[in-house]
Amino acid sequence: MSKSSFSKKINVLLVPVLATISGLILSSVILLLTNHSPIQAFSALVNSGFSCSKLTNCNFFQTLQLATPLILNGLSATVAFRSGMFSIGQEGQFLMGAIVAAWLGYAIHLPPVIHQIVLIAAAVLAGGMYAWIPGILKVKLNINEVITTVMMNNIAILFMSYVVNFPMNVDKGSTARSSPIDISATLPTFFQGSKWGVGFVIAIAASIIVYFYIWRSTRGYEQRMSGQSPLFARFGGIKTTRAVLRGMIISGGLAGMAGAIEVMGVHHRIMQGFSTGLGFDGVMVALLGQTHPVGVVIVGILFAGVRLGAQIGLQTFMQIPRELGGVIIALIILFVSADTFFKDVVQTTQKWLNKIFSRFRKA
Amino acid sequence: MALAVEMTGISKYFPSTAVQANRGVNFSAESGQVHALVGENGAGKTTLMNILYGLHQPDEGEIKINGKHVLVPTPNEAIHLGIGMVHQHFKLIPSFTVAQNILLGIEPHKYGLLRQGYENDMVRALADSFGLPVEPSEKVSNLTVGMQQRVEILKTLQRNAYILLLDEPTAVLTPQEADEFFKVLRNLAERGRTVILITHKLPEVMKVADQVTVMRHGEVIEVTSISDTNINSLAHAMVGRNIVFNKKESHVRPGEVIAEVKDLFVSSNNGAAAVMGVSFQVHKNEILGIAGVSGNGQNELTEAITGLREVDKGKVLLASLDITKAAVHERRKSGMAHIPEDRMTMGLNLQTTLDENVIVNQYRQKPYSRAGFLVAAAIRKLANSIIERFSVASAKTGEGIATLSGGNLQKLVLGRELSGNPHFIVASQPTRGLDVGSIEFVHKSLLDASRSGAGILLISVDIDEIFSLCDRIAVLYRGQIAGVLSAEDADEQKLGILMAGGNLDPAEEMTQ
Repeated sequence: MSKSSFSKKINVLLVPVLATISGLILSSVILLLTNHSPIQAFSALVNSGFSCSKLTNCNFFQTLQLATPLILNGLSATVAFRSGMFSIGQEGQFLMGAIVAAWLGYAIHLPPVIHQIVLIAAAVLAGGMYAWIPGILKVKLNINEVITTVMMNNIAILFMSYVVNFPMNVDKGSTARSSPIDISATLPTFFQGSKWGVGFVIAIAASIIVYFYIWRSTRGYEQRMSGQSPLFARFGGIKTTRAVLRGMIISGGLAGMAGAIEVMGVHHRIMQGFSTGLGFDGVMVALLGQTHPVGVVIVGILFAGVRLGAQIGLQTFMQIPRELGGVIIALIILFVSADTFFKDVVQTTQKWLNKIFSRFRKA
Repeated sequence: MALAVEMTGISKYFPSTAVQANRGVNFSAESGQVHALVGENGAGKTTLMNILYGLHQPDEGEIKINGKHVLVPTPNEAIHLGIGMVHQHFKLIPSFTVAQNILLGIEPHKYGLLRQGYENDMVRALADSFGLPVEPSEKVSNLTVGMQQRVEILKTLQRNAYILLLDEPTAVLTPQEADEFFKVLRNLAERGRTVILITHKLPEVMKVADQVTVMRHGEVIEVTSISDTNINSLAHAMVGRNIVFNKKESHVRPGEVIAEVKDLFVSSNNGAAAVMGVSFQVHKNEILGIAGVSGNGQNELTEAITGLREVDKGKVLLASLDITKAAVHERRKSGMAHIPEDRMTMGLNLQTTLDENVIVNQYRQKPYSRAGFLVAAAIRKLANSIIERFSVASAKTGEGIATLSGGNLQKLVLGRELSGNPHFIVASQPTRGLDVGSIEFVHKSLLDASRSGAGILLISVDIDEIFSLCDRIAVLYRGQIAGVLSAEDADEQKLGILMAGGNLDPAEEMTQ
């Protein structure tokens, strides 16, 4: 027993390390082919993504700001996956939350604190309701949630495009956009020079709450059991449909909150091209983070740092096109998500060692 | 006599599960005999036969067929050597006819076209030559389980099998069908075929076999001829200690009615009526058995009583409280426990820890949760007490349960379900696939529960189990109760008649 759990732990560590190394090796080949030094490129990437020279000129703070929506969307995916729903509707719920927050941000006028709370609550509600639709379709009619959430994403992307071009459009600028939200509705930042602020604190708090909710509360227990083994849950007396629906609503609420924070803390409005796929990134962050809040926070920050590093370090300093940075990130993700491949490699090696060992023992 | 099969020094280790399944096993079977290979689950008998059939390769050891050294790298090679295997779960295509199934892959053809009429004639000739009549043009889906098994045997005979391996062949048969089946086996042996019967049912070994090999923990414990042994000594060899086989003794007088089903109608998944007007009562201190061949509405009845399936008509009462429409957790709160047939997907969640498995029926209650949060310490205490009271070997709190054996998993289910001292226990096939030691444990636990006041509904297709536990036995046939017998009145023959849809003389036998 202890031996198997030990080798399990080794696998847990070994697999992602092997995956990352493989990703780096293949990216190095690509960098070499385009006449760049891989070592220089990677150090520039790390320096730009995770360095901090002054409090007012700190790349890492920017990384943390970029990580905020990734963490919240990652939590959203985590809650859905843990409740047995492979929901990839974070993008749509994120946009719905953003639209509602941006609208209430200028349409109603309230004193500080209250205005902010109202916006976030409304966005959570909007995201939750938007996620409830695929949830109820799954529970009542058994319609596959992957298909419905993808469709709902498309609807939300087009709806966003519509509202910034028509009802919420303010000026005839080059990109369609809404009016800025009231100052009372914006989220404060910590230091000049980056938009790292209260939103990040909210995301960390949400991670802690999600952890306790999912792993320690009876309702989280209901959701996890329904997700892992619906028959077992029903047999034990858990109302699985209710648990699954609750999981979807919480998941949607978290994505909606991410949308509100992105509006209130970063852009202060919505515009054409508001989301660069932050909802989809959330799915990836959740999967790479082992659908666990701790993993989500770590992966979210790393992901944001690498992305910022690719943008600043590679493009600005090394003249490597940002797209190549994207390729490197994608390669690492590809290898990490192909972890079953590495599991096989690790297992075969172990078998091999076992065989040699047993031959020794015989001799 | 000549040895048809001779396996010497067979060893097999499974590195993935770290199990030494066979350890220097010597096994031989004479031609023209029925040879029983008995042992508990996990004793290594199926592994040994899979090696003979080419499904596994031995680490060490030799195989001789009819005195000649052979290698059996694949099942195809085994078939070529004249070895045929009938698996516990039939591998027939229901929508094909008997002839099409028997000739699958070796269809007679001319110019690339099938010759259907000729197929039927071939199969009929084969069936007649072995005295195993079948209708070649009948679809397999219309056949009884017993007939399907006959088709499986003919399939191996068509491929010229001289050595037949049968894995737990009687698990799916009624007693009458089993007797018929034993005649078939004797008949095959008389025609010079060698039959190797893998089983853990000792009465049938005594009935049909010439020779018996007993395995335990991957080793051969005893090889003897049937005339030199008896059930008790075989059982002793099998488990390494004495096992008490008994009809239920010491009747406690049943108390008042604890649960009642009134004129119950339930539909199956495809909407067809599966339970039609079933009524019965279960008393305190009583075990009521529901016997019957599987697929006669047992699943639907169990699910309706335990709240997993909607009831079309009729009532379910628990302690005179109407729970027909109650949710599962309400039923459990009013004292119902449920030991489901499928412990792997329903009884337990193999993906999570032991702790989370033992609270599924009571996680809402104090002390296991407080203010909406689980109390880890209280849960651990419960888990530990279950492990201890039900001696769940190699289980640890806080760890996964996926690696536990079937017997230990079932002990865990039992421990959880019995820990709240339920009034009414619904146990569905509680010993399916378990070894003799675990079966004994499960039976003892259920008897203890009934002695301390619980009413138990035992749904089982295993007649021996029904006999050794029940005070009264109801037979379910095509969704209806075909008859209810008291334990003293019941015998195998009467039950078999009811299970097959026959009638007992009402004046003589119907006690209820």
